[in-house]
Amino acid sequence: MPARSHDPHRRPRRNGPLAALRRRVLSGAAVQSLAAHAVLLFFVVLSLFPIYLMLNASLKSHGELYRSTIALPSDPKWGNFYLIFWEREYYRAFINSIIFAVSTTTLALILSILAGYAFAVYRFLGKELLFVLVLIGIMSSEISVLIPIYNLLQDMGLLNTHVGLILPQTALGLSFGIFLITTFFKDIPRELIDAAVCDGCKDLQLLRHVMIPLGMPAIKALALIEFLWAWNSFFFPLVIATQQDLMPLSVSIIDFMGRFTFNYELVATTCVIMLVPIVVLYLFTQASFRRGITFGALK
Amino acid sequence: MHPRIKPLWFVLPAALYLGLWIYYPIARNFYLSFLTAPTPRSRDYTFVGLQNYRQLLEDDVFLLALLHNVVWVLLSIAIPVVIGLILAVLLVERRSRLAYASIYFIPATVASIIAAIVWRWIYNPNFGTLNQALEFIGLKWLTRHWLGDESLALVSVNMIGSWGYFGFCTLLFLAGLQNINPDLHDAAKIDGANAFQRFFHVTLPLLRNTLIFIVVYTIIGSMKFFDLIYVTTGGGPNESSQVVGVYMYDLFLRRGEINYAATMSGVLTVAILLLTVIVIRNLIRQAKV
Repeated sequence: MPARSHDPHRRPRRNGPLAALRRRVLSGAAVQSLAAHAVLLFFVVLSLFPIYLMLNASLKSHGELYRSTIALPSDPKWGNFYLIFWEREYYRAFINSIIFAVSTTTLALILSILAGYAFAVYRFLGKELLFVLVLIGIMSSEISVLIPIYNLLQDMGLLNTHVGLILPQTALGLSFGIFLITTFFKDIPRELIDAAVCDGCKDLQLLRHVMIPLGMPAIKALALIEFLWAWNSFFFPLVIATQQDLMPLSVSIIDFMGRFTFNYELVATTCVIMLVPIVVLYLFTQASFRRGITFGALK
Repeated sequence: MHPRIKPLWFVLPAALYLGLWIYYPIARNFYLSFLTAPTPRSRDYTFVGLQNYRQLLEDDVFLLALLHNVVWVLLSIAIPVVIGLILAVLLVERRSRLAYASIYFIPATVASIIAAIVWRWIYNPNFGTLNQALEFIGLKWLTRHWLGDESLALVSVNMIGSWGYFGFCTLLFLAGLQNINPDLHDAAKIDGANAFQRFFHVTLPLLRNTLIFIVVYTIIGSMKFFDLIYVTTGGGPNESSQVVGVYMYDLFLRRGEINYAATMSGVLTVAILLLTVIVIRNLIRQAKV
């Protein structure tokens, strides 16, 4: 490529910003960088546009939404939220979602930390086999277990109860949790553990005073991921919670949509109520999220 | 207590939990698959051997749904995974890379039912943004009934899935790329390799583990997805976007054909398991248990 601009013998080397730009243009670097920026920005717009569309729609009146879906609302109708949250009693679904997601997360954390601790620190009978069985669980999904779980819940009288929602959902995220915690606990230096044991730490004390404090990054990441999964989950709640007063937000939205298909602005409002808490949570805890998500794939 | 037995107490709660809610159901699916009931929803089972499996092989809707699952896997690898890789390569040397990656990941935090609802509006043939935008830039001939057209429905729904997935891929590839020693690139540069050669002969081979993980993860996700199709097309028009998950749900809850649905579920479970054996092996090595 144009060696001219880099060759000090042909012309005196100039180092001003203009010269730099000139060199870049001549070498095609500017075109490349412009194209790269265009691609990166296109995907920023693509990521955010549907969310904008939804937030926008939730603040419009029915008539205004029909005139334009993209234009900003001339007079934001915060009343939509009041209508949905209080009058249509979406606060119930909101509370159901919180109960569901918090309980699922807590249960998954307790079970994962206990199991991960044993897998990472001790040797015991059948350890390898048990770990393989745990990992196979990562591949399982609602579709693999739906029918027997439905019958099981039916026999236990747990259909349409909070407990019936929480128990099977926890199982779906549990294998991933055990894997994440085990891998992270394994990385805690053995010397630290041995030192604590010498100081007289017994099993549960070791877990409480050494493993949990040092494993906090993984525990936080896992908590966030489990919460996100439960909050956004749809398949099990759809099948298990058929009574309105038990539905979490995801099922509630579909139920609402079935009855008011053409009130797009109100459907948008229900979606925003479900969407905003999770996006805000994500934005405040990005680093933890990233750690949890990239952890399984790398190392 | 014996030191090789005692730690089992810590594992026991999780093991019993997985046993009851994952392994027992998977086993019971197979048990149910060899039985049949006289009427829908009845539990008055009788043994029928392989009859359900035979029915499965002759069920055109199931075979079509399975084909759609495979197409979904291929589309999900061809589109969001490739886009994620390209974006990660473009980002890796920028200071603003985490800001971009964080924004790309936002769609992944949006529940798939919400994504499905918004994109249904974007795809709407009458007031949808997509057709309006195409008209606006003079491509009116490209406007379509995106979700109502038999040849397009599956691809259109897959684009919604891709929207929620490319950011995840970008994040993983970015982390993978940052793990690569930059000296290797410099060495290749000195040897005269151009950008493309460096990408295909240095970067890609070193990303091998990340690539395998993402591809397998995509396969698992693609076999078991349900929400997007359920909310957008319900498998239609005319089964053109039917997938195994939605079909099984329909057989089980609407038609009450428990044994047949269980057979389908079992077959899918085995398929996913076989496809992911490699990854399980990798994960074991990684955890060094």
